[in-house]
Amino acid sequence: MKIMNCPLNGPRNISEFVCGGEVTVEPDPNRCSNEEWADYVFLHDNDAGVVCEWWCHAPTAFWFIAERNTLTDEILRTFASSELFSERQDYSRPEQEAGQ
Amino acid sequence: MSDAVQTATSALRRSFHYRDLEAAGARFQPVADAAVAWVYGDDAGNEQTRARTLGIADLSPLPRTGFKGRDIGPWLAKQSVTVGEASNRAYPCGKGSLAAKLAPTEVLLLGALDGSDPLPGALNDAWTDDAGLCFPVPRRDASFWFTITGKMASSMFAKICGVDLREKSFDNHAIAQTSVARSNTIIIRDDLGAVPAFHMLGDSASAGYMWMCLNDAMDEFDGGPVGLEAILALRK
Amino acid sequence: MSGGANRLPERAGEWVDRARSVSFTFDGKSCQGLEGDTIASALAANDRWILSRSFKYRRPRGILTMAGQDANTLVQLPDEPNVLADTRAISDGLVVEGQNFDGSLENDRGAYMGLFSKFLPVGFYYKTFFRPRGAWKFWEPIVRARAGLGKINEKAHHGYYDKAYGWYDVAVIGGGPAGMAAAASAAKAGAEVLLVEENPHLGGSLAYARFDADGMESSKQLEALKADLGGVEIMTGAICNGWFEDNWLPVIKGNRLYKIRAKHVVLATGSIEQPMVFHNNDLPGIMQASAAQRLIRQYGVRPGKRAVVATANADGYAAALDLRQAGCEVAAILDLRAEPTNGAIVNAVRDHGIPVHAGSTAYEAVAAKGNRHITAVTSAKITGRGECGSGRDRFDCDLLCMATGYTPTHHLLSHAGGEVGYDGASEMFCVRSVPDGITVAGSLNGSYDLGATIAEGHYAGWSAAKAIGLKAGRQPRVPNDRGSLNRSHPWPIFPHPKGKDFIDYDEDLQVRDIQNAIREGYEHIELVKRYSTVGMGPSQGRHSALTSVRLTADETGQDIEVVGRTTSRPPFTAETFGVLAGRAFEPVRHTAMHHRHLELGAQMMPAGLWLRPAYYGTQDQKTACVEAEALNVRNNVGLIDVSTLGGLEVRGPDAAEFLNRMYTFAYLKQPVGRSRYLLLTDETGVIADDGVACRFGKNHFYVTATTGGVDNVYRSMLWRNAQWRLDVDVTNVTAAYAGVNIAGPKSRDVLAKLCTDVDLSPEAFPYMEIRTGTVAGIPARLMRVGFVGELGYEIHIPSGQGEALWDALMDAGRDDAIRPFGVEAQRMLRLEKGHIIISQDTDGLTIPHEADMAWAIGRKKPYFVGGRSIDIQVARGIERKLVGFEIADPAVPVPEECHLTVRGEEIVGRVTSAVRSPSLGKTVGLAYVAPDQSEPGTEFDIKIDGGRIIKGQVVKLPFFDADNARQEL
Repeated sequence: MKIMNCPLNGPRNISEFVCGGEVTVEPDPNRCSNEEWADYVFLHDNDAGVVCEWWCHAPTAFWFIAERNTLTDEILRTFASSELFSERQDYSRPEQEAGQ
Repeated sequence: MSDAVQTATSALRRSFHYRDLEAAGARFQPVADAAVAWVYGDDAGNEQTRARTLGIADLSPLPRTGFKGRDIGPWLAKQSVTVGEASNRAYPCGKGSLAAKLAPTEVLLLGALDGSDPLPGALNDAWTDDAGLCFPVPRRDASFWFTITGKMASSMFAKICGVDLREKSFDNHAIAQTSVARSNTIIIRDDLGAVPAFHMLGDSASAGYMWMCLNDAMDEFDGGPVGLEAILALRK
Repeated sequence: MSGGANRLPERAGEWVDRARSVSFTFDGKSCQGLEGDTIASALAANDRWILSRSFKYRRPRGILTMAGQDANTLVQLPDEPNVLADTRAISDGLVVEGQNFDGSLENDRGAYMGLFSKFLPVGFYYKTFFRPRGAWKFWEPIVRARAGLGKINEKAHHGYYDKAYGWYDVAVIGGGPAGMAAAASAAKAGAEVLLVEENPHLGGSLAYARFDADGMESSKQLEALKADLGGVEIMTGAICNGWFEDNWLPVIKGNRLYKIRAKHVVLATGSIEQPMVFHNNDLPGIMQASAAQRLIRQYGVRPGKRAVVATANADGYAAALDLRQAGCEVAAILDLRAEPTNGAIVNAVRDHGIPVHAGSTAYEAVAAKGNRHITAVTSAKITGRGECGSGRDRFDCDLLCMATGYTPTHHLLSHAGGEVGYDGASEMFCVRSVPDGITVAGSLNGSYDLGATIAEGHYAGWSAAKAIGLKAGRQPRVPNDRGSLNRSHPWPIFPHPKGKDFIDYDEDLQVRDIQNAIREGYEHIELVKRYSTVGMGPSQGRHSALTSVRLTADETGQDIEVVGRTTSRPPFTAETFGVLAGRAFEPVRHTAMHHRHLELGAQMMPAGLWLRPAYYGTQDQKTACVEAEALNVRNNVGLIDVSTLGGLEVRGPDAAEFLNRMYTFAYLKQPVGRSRYLLLTDETGVIADDGVACRFGKNHFYVTATTGGVDNVYRSMLWRNAQWRLDVDVTNVTAAYAGVNIAGPKSRDVLAKLCTDVDLSPEAFPYMEIRTGTVAGIPARLMRVGFVGELGYEIHIPSGQGEALWDALMDAGRDDAIRPFGVEAQRMLRLEKGHIIISQDTDGLTIPHEADMAWAIGRKKPYFVGGRSIDIQVARGIERKLVGFEIADPAVPVPEECHLTVRGEEIVGRVTSAVRSPSLGKTVGLAYVAPDQSEPGTEFDIKIDGGRIIKGQVVKLPFFDADNARQEL
C-alpha cells in the first residue's frame, strides 16, 4: 500500500485518505456561460503528468492538496490548502453591482 | 470513595457500553458525577499485574472537554492553559489534566484520571460566545475514553492499527489520529509511571464495538479489562 | 525402520522428529509418518508415489519439486481443497484425499482421457466458444463436470483468521544463504530486520543441496550463518505473497496475514529448478534433482532404489553423490553437455565409478502399467538442438532426477517493477533492473557459487543498511565469478513423435501445443499463454515459463530476450479467502437507548452503521405493530429515538453566510430561537441531503443532517470552506447528542412533567421554534418540529445521559399511554404528511423542482452550491415531477417502491413511497409522473407486479391534516 504524507498527521497508509479530485478554479457562476459552467462541473482535464489534487485525511477530516504525477503515481508534495486559497472568496450578482 | 453501593446506572451519566462492563464483572464507584468501573474482581493485586502486561480500562464517564477554532490558543492561555506549538502532541496541564493538541485549531482536554481536576468543567463554565473563533467540543459525549496499559499494548495495537505505536517509534505524549478496526480514533501515549499507557478516544456510539475488538485482540496476550483502581495504582 | 520403508537412518539437520510418529490417511489407506513430515514425504517414505491425477488426461502424477512449486501434489483435505502435499505438514488423524479422478486415485476410470489427447487440441476451449455454433453448449457441462480441482466443503468449520501490521527497517525475503547473510549484515549495522522464510526451517539450498565432495559444507555454512542472526526477527513457515507500493509486503503465516512495511527490502528468493522435456517426463518417479535431495536431507527419505540422473551442471553430480550415500544406486548420469566440466564433485562421482554418458539425454521414460511409475529410461545421443541420434540405451530405474537448469524466483521483484531479461551466456532469465528501495541477492541474481552467494548476501545487507542511512562500515566484496555459467542447458527439450513430452504439467500441455498455438497465429508470448493456457494453472508457470518462452522464440525466430515473458502479478502463491478477510471489522453504532429498544422487543434495522428500531414487536405482527404505533402518535403520544440523525455545530461570524452558500434556502435573516428547513444540492444541482438549521445564537447554528449523509455533508463543508475561507468553524457532534422525538397530542403534557425551566405554552414556544433548558435534570436542546405531523418536540441531550432521558420520558408518559414507535411507523406518518425522504423519494438525478421543492430555494442569494446548475436545467424544462397520489379502492393492491408509472408503452417515472394509511383509510404515496400529469385530480397508470396496471390519482399534499393544524397546536 502506498504511503501519503499528510501535512497534519505525517506519513500514513493511503487507505486513510480520500481523494477529492483535481483542484479546479470555479468560474464565476453569475457571469460565466452555460458551456463554461458545464465544463467546470462535468469535464475533467485528466492530465497525464503532474496534477494538483484535493485529498482528505479521513480520520481527522483534514483537507490538503497533493501534487501527484499521474503517469508514475508518485506523490511529489503535499501541502496545506491555504497555500493556494489564501483569500476569502465572495460572490455577487451582476444586478447587485449595477444597483450600487 | 463513597461507601454507598454503586451501579453503572446510579447516575444520569453512564458509560456508553456499561452492560459490557457489567458482563465482565465490573463493580462501579462514583467518580466526579458518574459511576466508573472501579474493579473487576476481588483480587486488586492481580488486576494491577494485568494492567502492567495488558489491560483496558473504560474511563468514559470521567470529565473531559475540547475546544476548536482558530483562536483557541489565546483563549486557553487566558485560562492559564498553555499548550506547545506542535500538533499531535499532548501537554500536561492543570492538576493532572492532559491537553492533547489535535491540530493548530483543536485541543482535546482529558481531566485527571481520578476525576479530581476541576479544569474541564471550569473551562466549559468559563467559555462565552465572545471567545472569538474558539468553541467547546462536547468530548465527554462525543467520544468514549479507554486507557490501554502494559508492555504488550503496542503488540496488541499492531493487530488493529496501521500506525506504528511501538515505544521507540511513538514516544510519550505523542498522538496518532487514525483508523483502528475501521473506526476513527485518537490515540495518546501517556505512560503511567514506568508502564506504557495509551488513551484511546473514538466514536462514543461505537464504544461497544471497539471494546469487543480490543478485547478480542488482547486475548492472545491474556489481556483484558482492568478497573480504574488498578490504573490509579500504576501512577505511583 | 520407523516412519516408512524408505526412511533413511537419522542424520543431523533433518526436519523430522524420529521420536514422534504421526498417522494419517491418504486415499482411504492409513499411513505412518513422522512429526515434521509433509504429506508427500510421509507417503514417499512408505513407497507411495501417486499424489494426484492430471487435469486433462488424468495421468498419475507424483513429486516433482518437493518445494510447493508444482500442481502435481494438490490434494484434498476435508475442509480445504488444493492443498500442496509437498509443503503441508501431516498431523495425527488428518484425512487426505486425492483429486481429479473417478473411482480411486490408483485406478481412475477417467484415465482413458489420455487416449483422446489428440482430440483435445490446443485452444480447445477457445475454439469451441465460437465454432461450430452450439458446440460450447454441448461441451460446457462436460468440461465443467471434469474441470476444477478440489471440492469446496460448504459446511467447513470457520477458522479464526486475523491480520497484524509490522514495521521494520529491512525485510529480507528468503532464508537461504544469501538471505541469512543479508539479514545478519543489516542487523549488525543497527537495522531492525525481519527475515521471512517459507519453509519451516531456515537454510534454503543449504538445507538440501550438496556443495562439496564430502557433503559437509552445507551444514557447516548453515550453522555459521544461523549463529550470526542475533537480533534478527525470524519468521519461518511464512510466505511473502507479493510486493506492493512503498515496500508493503503481505506475509502469510498460518491463519494470520502480516502487513509488513519495510524501509528497504532484500529479495533473496532464490531460483526454481526446471524440468526437462522428453517423452513421458511426467511419470511418478521423475523429479527434479533438488526434490530428491530435499527428500533425503530434509525428511530422511530415500527417493528411489535405482536412479538415473539427467543433468547439465555440477548440481546433478552432487545429487548423484547424495543418492549414492542414501543407498540408491545410480545407474547412470546422462550429461546433456558434450564436454562435462571437471571439479571435485564430478571427480568424486567418477571415483565412485558411476557411469557418465556425455552428450546424452533422457529420450523416453518407460512406464509401469497405467503410467503409475517410471520403470526405465532410454537415452539417446544428442545430435543437434533438441535432436537425437537413433541409438538407444536402456537403464532400468525407479527414479529419474532432472538437473538441467534454473529460473530465478523473480516474482516479487517483478511486482515491484524490476525487469527480467534473458542472459545468453548463462542461458537463464536474469535481473535487468532493480527499483529503488530493493536489493537482490543470491540465485535470484544469478549467484550459484556458495561463497559468492554468501558474500553477495552480506553486500545486500550492507547496502540496505546504507540506503536507510545507517553507518554500515566497510563495503563487503563480492567475487566477480558468481557461478552462473554452466548451470542451465540452453535446450533441454526433446520433442517426441508420440508426444507426452510435457512442458506444463498443470495443464497437460505438450511441445506441439505451443508450436500449434504459434502456427495458428498467436505469436506474442501473452497470446500464447492465453490461447494455450500455458502457465495459467496453479503453479503459474514456475516450471513451464522458461520452456514455453524458448519454444516461442524458436518458432518465431526471435531472441528470447525479445519474446520476453508474461506479466507476474500478486499473489505469488494461492491464498485462502480466510486469510484475505481476516477479522471482519464491521463497525456498528448504537444509540444511548439501544438496549432499551431491545428490552422492548424492537426489531432492529440498519441505518448506515447504526441500528434503529424498525418497530416494536414480533415479526409476524409487523403490520399490526406499525399501525398501532402510528395511531398512538396520532391519538396519544409516541416516542422515537432520533439519535442517529446527524448533528453539526456551525459557529462563527460567518455561520449564516456559510449556510447560505451550502444550502438552497436563505439563512442570513433567520431569527435566533427559530429553526429553518435545509436542502442541500450538489454541484450538479441534484438533491443530496436535508435537515434543519437551528439558530441558537447570532453566530451559532445547530444543523441536522440525514443519518447516512452527515459524514459526507461534514466533509464537504470543510472542503468548501477550505476554498471560501469564511470565519466559521464546523464540528460533527452526531455522536455527542442523543435525541428523541416525543410526538402526539399529549406530548406537551408529558414533557411538562419533566421540563420546568422552559415555557412550553404554544404562545411562548410555537411551532418551528427552538429552546434550551433541562429535561429530567439533563441539559437539553428542544425543537418543535413536524415531521410526523403532530404536536411534537425533538429533545437533544448529551449522549451519556440519553438512556436516563428515555427512562424519564417513558415513565412520565405512562398515564398518557406513551408508546415507543419505530422507523416504519415514522415513515408512514411522514408520508401521510407528504414529507419526502432524501434518496428514497429522490434519486441521483433529482433537482429540487422535480421534487416540488422549488419553495426551498432562496431566490435573491448570489450563490449556493448547485444553484447555477439548477438554473440551467430549469430553463431547459424538467421532464418529471414528484406528486402525491392516492388509491381509494381498498381492493387494489398497494404499489411498491420502484413500480413504474407508465403512459401507454412509455415509462414516465416510478413510485417512491406508498402505504395503506390507517389514519386515512386508503392508500397514499409519492410517485414521479410527467409534468403534464401533475395537476391534482389527474389519473395515471402504475404497473405493478405481474404487469398489472392500476390507477393512481394525483392529490394535493399533505394527505393528512391539510392545514397543518395538529403540528402547530
